[in-house]
This record gives sequence, structure tokens and C-alpha cells, in this order.
Amino acid sequence: MRGRGQVAGAAGIAVAGALPFLLEDFLVSLALSCLMYVALASSWAMFSGATRYVSLGTSAFFGLGAYVSAWGLSVLPWPLVVAGGAGVAVAFAALAGAAILHLRGTYFAVLTFGLSELVRHAITYGEKQYAGTVGRVLTVVPSNTTVYYTVLAIAAAAVATTVLVRQSRFGLALNGIGDDEQRAQTLGVPTRWVKVAGFATSAAFAGAVGAAMAVRWTYIDPAAVFNPFIGLQTVLIAIVGGAMSLGGPIIGAIVFSLLAEFLRLQFPYVYLVLLGVVLIVAVLYLPHGLAGLWGGRARAPERRATTS
Amino acid sequence: MTTILDARGIVVRFGGLTAVDQVDLDVSEGALVGIIGPNGAGKTTFFNALSGVVPATAGRLIIDGADLTGKPAHRFAWAGIARTFQTPRVFAGMSVAESVRFGLEFAGRRRRHQRAALGDVPAILGFLGLTDLAERPTRSITPARQRLLEMGMALATRPRVLLLDEVAAGLTELEIESMARLIRRCRDELGLAVVWIEHAVAVLLRAVDQVMVLHQGRKLAEGEPRAVARNPAVIEAYLGTAAGPATGAP
Repeated sequence: MRGRGQVAGAAGIAVAGALPFLLEDFLVSLALSCLMYVALASSWAMFSGATRYVSLGTSAFFGLGAYVSAWGLSVLPWPLVVAGGAGVAVAFAALAGAAILHLRGTYFAVLTFGLSELVRHAITYGEKQYAGTVGRVLTVVPSNTTVYYTVLAIAAAAVATTVLVRQSRFGLALNGIGDDEQRAQTLGVPTRWVKVAGFATSAAFAGAVGAAMAVRWTYIDPAAVFNPFIGLQTVLIAIVGGAMSLGGPIIGAIVFSLLAEFLRLQFPYVYLVLLGVVLIVAVLYLPHGLAGLWGGRARAPERRATTS
Repeated sequence: MTTILDARGIVVRFGGLTAVDQVDLDVSEGALVGIIGPNGAGKTTFFNALSGVVPATAGRLIIDGADLTGKPAHRFAWAGIARTFQTPRVFAGMSVAESVRFGLEFAGRRRRHQRAALGDVPAILGFLGLTDLAERPTRSITPARQRLLEMGMALATRPRVLLLDEVAAGLTELEIESMARLIRRCRDELGLAVVWIEHAVAVLLRAVDQVMVLHQGRKLAEGEPRAVARNPAVIEAYLGTAAGPATGAP
């Protein structure tokens, strides 16, 4: 089972790694967007799928990463830029998590949504005050190939981390928190610490992806990189794919990216409407996500992030 | 006998309501203590305070010599306090074996492993007679067995004190008898101190060594079961005065 998973993972990385040599630019950029959502949705599901703390904060971490990239690109080597994006997102998630992770359900979701808005406005204000500008033009950027392989590496790391977490005591603690937080605590789980650590770990990948993807735009401003749509899409992809399973967010990210692109090209005027309909149908009729369609469904289907 | 759990002057207040008012409880090694009281007497709230689930408004909680007053619930589990909940709270997404492993992996791992019966998942399931259900999802077993599983999850933390909250509620006569036997085995074979809350009084009074009666948040009586059962104040609290509910038309 484990061996099969490793083979599948290696094969996936090899295929994704070969795409820039095989496909035209347009399709490679589509693959890049798939990989971005694989990283975002997998890392989201690692924390939110297991604990059922539905976070809309992905936009905040993504945007912070993007700004670290904008600030650091001219002075730091590329790997440090990406690591910096991850690091800033982790620090922010740890602080914010310590403040709001005692709230559950809708309250937590709404607050994480507010978090992105808060950071967006703080950065807008800071940039106006100290840099005299709102947006930033990124001039010296790495090649598209570098960005592609960076995002591939982040996506692979996100999936690998999820695998490791699921096999560890840490993952067991996260599952226990999702099932019954107070019961888990009475059995000895330091719930507060575990939640903050899980939230921060998942933020690392969103921050790294933000840092890497920022250079795809030549001009970034807070409205673009703190776009709440990024956080919402991440949640939808994970849930439609199956947030409780390992493969769900990956399948969800691929299907979603391809579908979104197909609908955008075929039905440019109503594509968002169609996408919405597809998502609603998926949520209504695929209670275990796309991953539940074939046998190897999540360990415990009924534990899927239902509402909240 | 050394004291393991020493609760002094515990008060739990929710806004203007005092649910537990100045209650002391001293549990020594190997004790089997029952707590009874009418509905709303504060029994469960008192347990919540003893296990750190609800912070005590006033009073001190000394466990094994360490002052845990105001500490979060997982510290109580680490210190050797385990509990069950009135409505079984098993992990819905796990199998029976996984649920038991959970306790072993967290509080259980930090505790000295004294008894073979608490050594691993099969030993605990064997002690409870749940071996055959190990791979079943927790949701698919009967409520009576979920109760047993909840006790197994608590035992897996390798506690010194086991707090049982109405584990016999809703069970058949026969099941209650075997539950009482199991509780005595927890004390006799595992060497635990057990504090058992129950509403079904008769079976509890037969099983325990000491009993405490709570009424409206206060300790009404305490002592040997037979003496407490004859205490007029206790009888009145349970049955009301002669002119009380008996004459009240429904």
C-alpha cells in the first residue's frame, strides 16, 4: 500500500516534470495552475480537512508570500525568496492562530476571511505610507521554467507532508480534534498547541506558493494577491475532491483547473455560472468528494468536513 | 493510603448560577467512591472541574501532590485523571481499536506503564471484552458497548483516578450488574481509584465503599453507603418531604 503510494507519487512528479518539454506554453501554464491548487488544497486539507476548522485564510498566506517575493526578489536568491514567503506565512498563521483558534465553525471561517482583508488593508496602508505606491512592478523575475519547477516542488512537498502528518501522532491528534476536540483533550492532546502548529504548517505551503506565483504577474497589488477568491477556491477544490482523503485535493485541483479552463474557453460569458452549478452538483451528489467515486475512499467517509 | 486527588472547596459558577458550591473530595489510592444526587445537583459539573474541562471558579485541585488548579484538561490527563462522559463521546471517524490507541498515544505515553492490562490496545479491549469489535467503526456498535469503549479510551491514558459519569444510565438490569462488576475490577485488578457518578442509586450503593451526596451544588452527606442511605436529609432530597411531590396533582 505504502509502496504503491510512493510509486504513484514518483510517477506523478515525473509526468508533471516532463510537461514543459512536451506541451506548448499555454498548456504548461494550465499545468502550473493545477500544481498551484494541488499545493494549496492539499495543505489546506491537511489541517482543515482533519480538524474541520474551515479556514478561508489561504488568501492571506498566499498574499503575504507574494509580497515577500515582491520585496525580496531583487536582493535575495530565489530559493530564499520562496522560503521567506513560507516563513512569513508561518509566523503570521501562528500568531493569528493563537488568537482565533479557540473559535469553531462559522466564527472561525469568518474570522479567517477577515484576516485576509486585515492583511490586505494593512499592506495597502503600509505601502502607501512608506513606499509611496500601492502596487509593485516585478522586473527581474526568474524564467517560467524555474517558476514551474518551484511550484511543482512545493506541491510535491505539500503532498509528502500531508502523507507524513497522516501517519504521525500529530495527524492522529488533528483527527481527534476534528472528531471531538474536548474528548481529545481529556485523553491528553494539548489541543491549543496542536491546532496552532497544524494551522501554521498548512500556511507554509500557501505562503511559498504565493511567493513563487507572484512573479507570474509583472505587476502585483494587494487587491490581486489577497483576492478572497483564492481562499474560497482552495476550500471548494478540497471539498469537491474529498477533504478527508489524500488524493481528493489532488484530483479536485486537476479537475477544477481543467474544467475552469474548458468552460472559460467554450462559454466565456457564463463560465462562472456553469462552474458554480458544477460545484453545487458535486457538493450535493458526491458526499465523499470525487475521491469517494472509486473504492479507496477516505478512512472514514462520514468524517468529511460537512458544514461549519 | 495516600491521597491522589484532593479537591478543596471547589466552586463552579456560571454567571449568577452556582452549580457547585464549596465541595471537598479526597480520593485515596484504590478508593471506590460514589457520587449521587438528584438531577441538577451539580454532579457532572463537579466532574468537569475535577477533569479540568471546566475551570473551577474557586478552590484548589491537587493531583498526586501537584497543584493543577486552572490548568487545561490535557494536563489533568497527563497527571493521571481519566474520565468518561455522560453521553458516550467516542471518535465517530475511528475504529474501536483506533479509539483506544488514541489514549495510549497521548496521555498514556507519558505515564508509567504499571499494569499489563493497560499495556496495549488488545490488552485493554480484552479487559473490557471488546476484542471481537476491534476493527468495527465506533458508530456501528451498540450504545452499551460505546460506554465500554469510552471506558477503554479513558483506561488507555493509564490513569490513577477514573471518573465515570453515569456509565449505567440507560442500560438494562443485567448490563448494570455487569457494569458494576467491571467498575470493581478497575479498582481490584487495575489498582485504580474510581469515582462513579450515578443516578440509578441502588446499584451504586451496593458497589462503592464510600458515597457522597450532592444536592443543589452542595455536599449534603458523605460516608459509608448504608449510613448515607438512612440519612433523613438524603431521603428528603431524593423523595421530597411527605407533603411534597406525592400530593402534587400532575
